[in-house]
Amino acid sequence: MGAQADVGGAGDLKVTGPADTTEPAQGSARPGGAEVQIDGIGKTFRRSGRRTVALAGVNLEVRAGELVCLLGPSGCGKSTLLRIVAGALAQDEGTVTVGGQPVKGPSPDRGMLFQSPMLFPWLTTKKNILFGPKAQRSRGLDERDDPELDAEADAILDTVGLGKFGDAFPHELSGGMRHRAAFARALITRPSLLLMDEPFGALDAITRLRMHDFLLNIWEQYRTTIIFVTHDIEEAVLLGDRVAVMGGRPPGIGEVIDIPLGRPRHAVDADTESFLVAKRRIRASLMV
Amino acid sequence: MSAWRSLPPLGTDTLIDDPPARLDSGDRGALDEQDDRADLAAYRQARRRARTRRLAIGAAGLIGLAVAWQIAATLIGDAVFLPSVTQTVHAFLHYWDRPYPSQGKPLWYDAVISLRRIVIGFAIGVVAGVTLGAAMSASRVARHLVDPVIEVLRPLPPLAFIPLFIIWFGIGELPKEVLIVIGVTPIMAITTVAALDEVPEDLLLCARTLGASRLYTLLHVQIRAALPGILTGMRICMAGAWTSIVAAELIAATSGLGYLIGQAGDYLNIALVFSGLICIALIALALDACIRGLLLLTDPSRRT
Repeated sequence: MGAQADVGGAGDLKVTGPADTTEPAQGSARPGGAEVQIDGIGKTFRRSGRRTVALAGVNLEVRAGELVCLLGPSGCGKSTLLRIVAGALAQDEGTVTVGGQPVKGPSPDRGMLFQSPMLFPWLTTKKNILFGPKAQRSRGLDERDDPELDAEADAILDTVGLGKFGDAFPHELSGGMRHRAAFARALITRPSLLLMDEPFGALDAITRLRMHDFLLNIWEQYRTTIIFVTHDIEEAVLLGDRVAVMGGRPPGIGEVIDIPLGRPRHAVDADTESFLVAKRRIRASLMV
Repeated sequence: MSAWRSLPPLGTDTLIDDPPARLDSGDRGALDEQDDRADLAAYRQARRRARTRRLAIGAAGLIGLAVAWQIAATLIGDAVFLPSVTQTVHAFLHYWDRPYPSQGKPLWYDAVISLRRIVIGFAIGVVAGVTLGAAMSASRVARHLVDPVIEVLRPLPPLAFIPLFIIWFGIGELPKEVLIVIGVTPIMAITTVAALDEVPEDLLLCARTLGASRLYTLLHVQIRAALPGILTGMRICMAGAWTSIVAAELIAATSGLGYLIGQAGDYLNIALVFSGLICIALIALALDACIRGLLLLTDPSRRT
């Protein structure tokens, strides 16, 4: 899978994090997003005697409610960094804190979206959305009862424009609908941070434009912090408050560029001059 | 790695469903992206119509075979060489509950005997194979340990073991059941490993970021996602198990449908031979339908 092919040792990526327990969701009524502090992260993969430095000395601060894009070519370690923040992968050096709490393992407080929507094919759209709350309830982390969850799932289905497709199975949905369903599934656990790993990379160009508008619209409503990984310059400029350009040897974050476009943004903002200027700036930074 | 992906060669098999929908990024999806008012009910109805049409074509194929058989039998006009459909049906109904002289048992008795051997051997083989496969998927050591054993044993036709099993286990039921177990176990182990391996790591990570514990993820996602693959393996094994048991009964048994067919052939009762064949086909179809039912239950994308 493209998303995993970023580093030589991607095969070592383990689903489970360094800690054995998943962290509980931080207060489910939290409005908006959490700030993220990434300090001196280093990661080296060892595979059959060969060492590959995937990340070295990475620092990044993401403000609460900000949308930051990680931009870079394949193999620059952006997916690795995202997985470390998710708690799916343990770093060798450095610390990550989200909302002041150090990351110790995967948590519903940090939702994740992938290039493939990763819906559970045996569940209907609505049951997919209810997976998180029910899994949390089975260990006493989610207090909401069935009617309450049901109502919330219906509301979220409407929000993502799938109101009529709660009973559809994933294979019956279109590509864009599947991504919107995956969004809804991540949103219902009320994460304070969304980690997005090239989520629209496999969609056709037109569906992708729609998903950009969709994401910007949802983000205006929820204002969770988002870290968005992409290798598409235009996508990064259109979505991000800031764009962190990744690359180099050993891989890390180079420049972090502010995008001087207003909010709320729409896909049509790609036709403005400041968009082009920002794009040119990032391209120059990538070519160094 | 690729050795795990390749399934064993299929013998007699009936895996002719439409392929399941793929949910990876290459799939554009069923409903129209441009039209959010696309109607799910209409889409499902269209799929149902397509299914009815497919079933009708399938039924026409079977009827065509029966008609061709009947015409051929009429033209040949020799019931010992090729009995007609009507003669076969007559023999089937006649011997269903009347003992065939050379054996002294009716058709249903042999059918039950064969079915019993299959069910016992198949159940043990599936449990052993899935357990072995799960262990191989979970532990690298188990995988490297068991893999060569399976690779060595798998190409051996189970029938070649019959003389050995008669010496080891006598001539009772045990050697027949063991025969099925050794045919089913390695294939189930391989398909189980493949099914578990094919569950994307990101699907498990996804469940974990939604708040599922490790145990919940294992039970409700990893094993659940592998079920359709395991059930497909069971369909392959069931077909293979029938082939083995009937052949074994032809060679070394005093009961069962294979034995009945052999006896009927020796006495030139060809209508009874065909009755035995039809009985085998019907039971195999019914057993496959059971597993297929489970498959449809676990994999909505195969429901049409």
